[in-house]
Amino acid sequence: MEKKYGVYICKGCGIGESVDMQKLIAQAAKAAKLPADKIKTHDILCSPEGIALISADMKDGGVNAMTIAACSPRVKYEEFNFPGCVVSRINLRELLSWNQTPNTADTQNLAEDYVRMGAIRAQKSEVPEPNILPDLSKTILVIGGGITGLTAALESANAGYQVVLVEKEAELGGWGAKLYKQTPREYPYDRLEEPAVIAKIKEVQGNGNIKVYTSTTVEKTEGQPGLYDVTLRKNGGSETIIKAGAIVLAAGWKPYDATRLTHLGYGLPNVVTSVEFEEIAKKGKITRPSDGKEAKKVAFIQCAGSRDPEHLPYCSSFCCATSLKQAKYVREKNQDAMVFIYYKDIRTPGQTELFYKNMQNDAGVLLTKADVTGISEAGGGNLFVEAENTFLGEKIKVEADLVVLAIGVVPATAAPQQYLDKLAVEGKKGDEAKKTFLESTAKPEMLLNLVYKQGPEIPTLEGAYGFADSNFICFQYETRRTGIYAAGCIRQPMNMADAADDAAGAALKAIQCLEHVSQGIAVHPRAWDASFPDPLMTRCTSCKRCTEECPFGAIEEDAKGTPFFKINRCRRCGTCMGSCPERIVSFKDYHVDMIGSMIKSLDVPDEGIRIICLVCENDAYPALDTAGFNHIQMHPGIRFIPVRCLGSTNLVWVADAFSRGIDGLLLLGCKFGENYQCHFVKGSELADYRFSKVQETLDKLQLEADRCNLMQVAITDYDKLPDMINEFIKKVEAFGPNPFKGM
Amino acid sequence: MAEQIVKPDLKFINDVIAAGGESLKKCFQCATCSVVCNVTPDDRPFPRKEMVHAQWGLKDRLFANPDIWLCHQCSDCTAYCPRGAKPGEVLGAVRKLSLQHYSTPGFLAKMVGDPKFLVLLLAVPAVIFLLIITYMGNLNMASIPRGEEGGIVYAKFIPVPFIDAVFIAAATFAAIVFVTGVLKYWKDMSQGVSLSGSLGASIIAVVTDILSHKRFRKCDVTKGRSTSHMLVFFSFVGLAITTTIAVVYIYGLKWESPYPLSDPMKILGNASAAALLLGLALVIINRLKNVDKAGIGSYYDWLFIGVVTSVVVTGVLSELLRLGDIAQMAYPIYFIHLVTVFFLFAYAPFSKMAHMVYRATAMVFAKQSGRE
Repeated sequence: MEKKYGVYICKGCGIGESVDMQKLIAQAAKAAKLPADKIKTHDILCSPEGIALISADMKDGGVNAMTIAACSPRVKYEEFNFPGCVVSRINLRELLSWNQTPNTADTQNLAEDYVRMGAIRAQKSEVPEPNILPDLSKTILVIGGGITGLTAALESANAGYQVVLVEKEAELGGWGAKLYKQTPREYPYDRLEEPAVIAKIKEVQGNGNIKVYTSTTVEKTEGQPGLYDVTLRKNGGSETIIKAGAIVLAAGWKPYDATRLTHLGYGLPNVVTSVEFEEIAKKGKITRPSDGKEAKKVAFIQCAGSRDPEHLPYCSSFCCATSLKQAKYVREKNQDAMVFIYYKDIRTPGQTELFYKNMQNDAGVLLTKADVTGISEAGGGNLFVEAENTFLGEKIKVEADLVVLAIGVVPATAAPQQYLDKLAVEGKKGDEAKKTFLESTAKPEMLLNLVYKQGPEIPTLEGAYGFADSNFICFQYETRRTGIYAAGCIRQPMNMADAADDAAGAALKAIQCLEHVSQGIAVHPRAWDASFPDPLMTRCTSCKRCTEECPFGAIEEDAKGTPFFKINRCRRCGTCMGSCPERIVSFKDYHVDMIGSMIKSLDVPDEGIRIICLVCENDAYPALDTAGFNHIQMHPGIRFIPVRCLGSTNLVWVADAFSRGIDGLLLLGCKFGENYQCHFVKGSELADYRFSKVQETLDKLQLEADRCNLMQVAITDYDKLPDMINEFIKKVEAFGPNPFKGM
Repeated sequence: MAEQIVKPDLKFINDVIAAGGESLKKCFQCATCSVVCNVTPDDRPFPRKEMVHAQWGLKDRLFANPDIWLCHQCSDCTAYCPRGAKPGEVLGAVRKLSLQHYSTPGFLAKMVGDPKFLVLLLAVPAVIFLLIITYMGNLNMASIPRGEEGGIVYAKFIPVPFIDAVFIAAATFAAIVFVTGVLKYWKDMSQGVSLSGSLGASIIAVVTDILSHKRFRKCDVTKGRSTSHMLVFFSFVGLAITTTIAVVYIYGLKWESPYPLSDPMKILGNASAAALLLGLALVIINRLKNVDKAGIGSYYDWLFIGVVTSVVVTGVLSELLRLGDIAQMAYPIYFIHLVTVFFLFAYAPFSKMAHMVYRATAMVFAKQSGRE
């Protein structure tokens, strides 16, 4: 495409009053290599008249690469949307007219620098063409046939997609189908309901879009979004290979191993788990296992194994509601029966609180906060429940004829994760240790068996206690394996109502994946992005840094160890571009040379400080915009350059900056740690690691290492941002000007 | 504290709920009630612990406890309770059950607390007085003899000795029930508690507190209550003095009623009645005004208010009708007056009237046990 440039400068929102427009136009003309009368200004560029001004220039093979100097690119994107054109947005509002002193030399310089960088961005950008792979499948594979899996299958099928539902048990329904009754889900939350899962099973079985495989597990998952080849195995017997475009992982949970709860009496004749209690209730009267006598004093012990550092450190979310529901079984079957509930805290999330209130109001349901210290035999099959720190203000001992342990949730991902993590630890010790581990440890049931360089299951999420990978702050169903979406209790403990909602969310994500892959655009979070990494492989040295650092396992290696992209797994963060020492990874509209040239285009005067700040587009840049929105004054010597992710920052930019005489380089990125959930997992941590290496180079150049700094910013830190930046500027000022200035 | 075997009693929980504590189970033990209560001691404050004891059906702990009576039902707790558990009302219900527990015979206590038996309870004095009237041949009101000046003389309708015989019997019964109940209550409270100080001094201190309404004045939400209670309380004191003087007049000085309105005893009696009417009006207005914050109250509360109101209204009417010489209404009203007075005194140990005895006992015990 032959590019025809245009530059449009908005004078609205105070921009016109902040700068000398004639001078700015002159600079823009120079940077864009256009005659000054081709640089257009408008009082309100985003107005229909302003847009008409641009559209008129586009007619008949006119302008197709426009530099628009107006407000933040995060606003007015519908107005300044010109499909098929290169659009380079310059932020003269949030970063200038709203946070600088008008009509000073510094402000003028700032505007001119931004206009130059914008012109270069337009010159160095091409319009991306989507990369659509052939033979894409639009089938959604759902792993798990419980409430979550059934709902995900139905939601997908009802939206018109083909679904393959795989369940390892012989029957569909999961735990939900084993219940006597279900916790109320409708106002006034006082009636037990038939398990909703039963109707869902029928619906799934009658749905022509859903193919069900029971007694089946996933033996192998190969490929990428839109192109998965999944091998299914029926009860260790026959094998089927299916094609799928996206996967919903809804493998659910297992009850915690009650045999480890002997301190709560498990093993005594009349101590059962909440799961076992459902079976008792399903048979009719509430009877005791030891002698079949009706139980009239039933004690429920909450958090049996949950919220306990020795067992499950987390809250299992629905056990409180389950015990209240089971208390209702006891009371409905016998009005003279009593229920004692010992809890750490009653936690009934959402509307379940109303059910709790209803149950609390039942005269025969006695609750107390308590630390249960022991369960012992009281004779005749009865049990003493001993507890301290109770509301009664003393240690109490109550005789019950049946004790129910409200057992916690262990996600199906926990066992494989634990196994793989240990395997990795042993593997690092050497082949011998690895071999010993493999021989001595039983391999748990795997869920996906991915054929990925990065491992057979979705990665372990730090601090998630074995629950499935999830970007739980912003994009909860997304795992680091693009195309695979976790939902239900595998992701976090939740009740069936929440699991059904979760399933719908994950199904939508799977559909988004199929649709975006079929258009050749990023699946998420850059869901509009048609660009993709396009490496110049002739210069690849197979150093494998990209394959190591790609957060999404999008880069595999061939037999010779040469990296290649599984492009549908890619989320376009540019981490590969930042990691490549040969700088061969480029996007059509984002590459090392582009940012480098923008840096080099800056006018660095001999006097006055100049700082370049590379800003993460996802959190730090919105924080900057918000600071501007609040008219918080910003130092005029700083030039902000947005980047897709700090993971995409290439070290060569450091040389570009300091050789130009820039006094300091600041990186603003997300907070570290998986639990903060950077959009691209750990971009700012990677940048920090890379820059720790560059500081040696700076030392050699006799430049202070601290001229280069990375700061962690949350999207809400807009008010702290100016102070953070000013502190950095002060530090740099203390070093004095960069000696390379003017060279 | 040592570990205790706790035996929850479902029947008691249901009883509390039925006795006006229907909000009992809503309590989730946040203890806002104990924080906002101005009358509780700081150590082991009520009513938070009473709420859990009631929820767990631990009646012995509730009964053998001065705290349920130290509560003056200010309803500060009820107003601030985030769950609408109305601790003030629950404690009221527990007090009712406590009276039923300590006042024998128990069946009578249950009957007083149950609207089903109201007519039967009223029938007892009604029958007694009807028998007397019949015996006197006064069923035909026209034939009732008049006084020397031709006015209505109630002593000629039902002679004083009959009335006194009935009321002395009723009062003796009530006194015996009170004494046995209070002794039992004191014994239960004393279990495992060390008492110190002079009983006499404690009693004097409590009487002083009661006369000044010191505790009552600490109430925030139902501020006006101490004033109305004080009016009612001192009216009763005034009426008690009036009655004592009347006894002296009749049996000491052998003066027969009716007495002139200018008589000091008459003045005191009428002033007390007027104060009582005003006090009761304030009680009722306050209660209705505070329904949202303090709750409407139970049958037990309203029965007590109703009986006292009936006593004073029929008393005042009897006097006015007598003075107005409207015999056709005067005699029936006087009859009703006697029936309600009987109800008030004979059933006192089983009704809310008993609060004066049990609360005073609890206050003395609290002083003796260092609970204040």
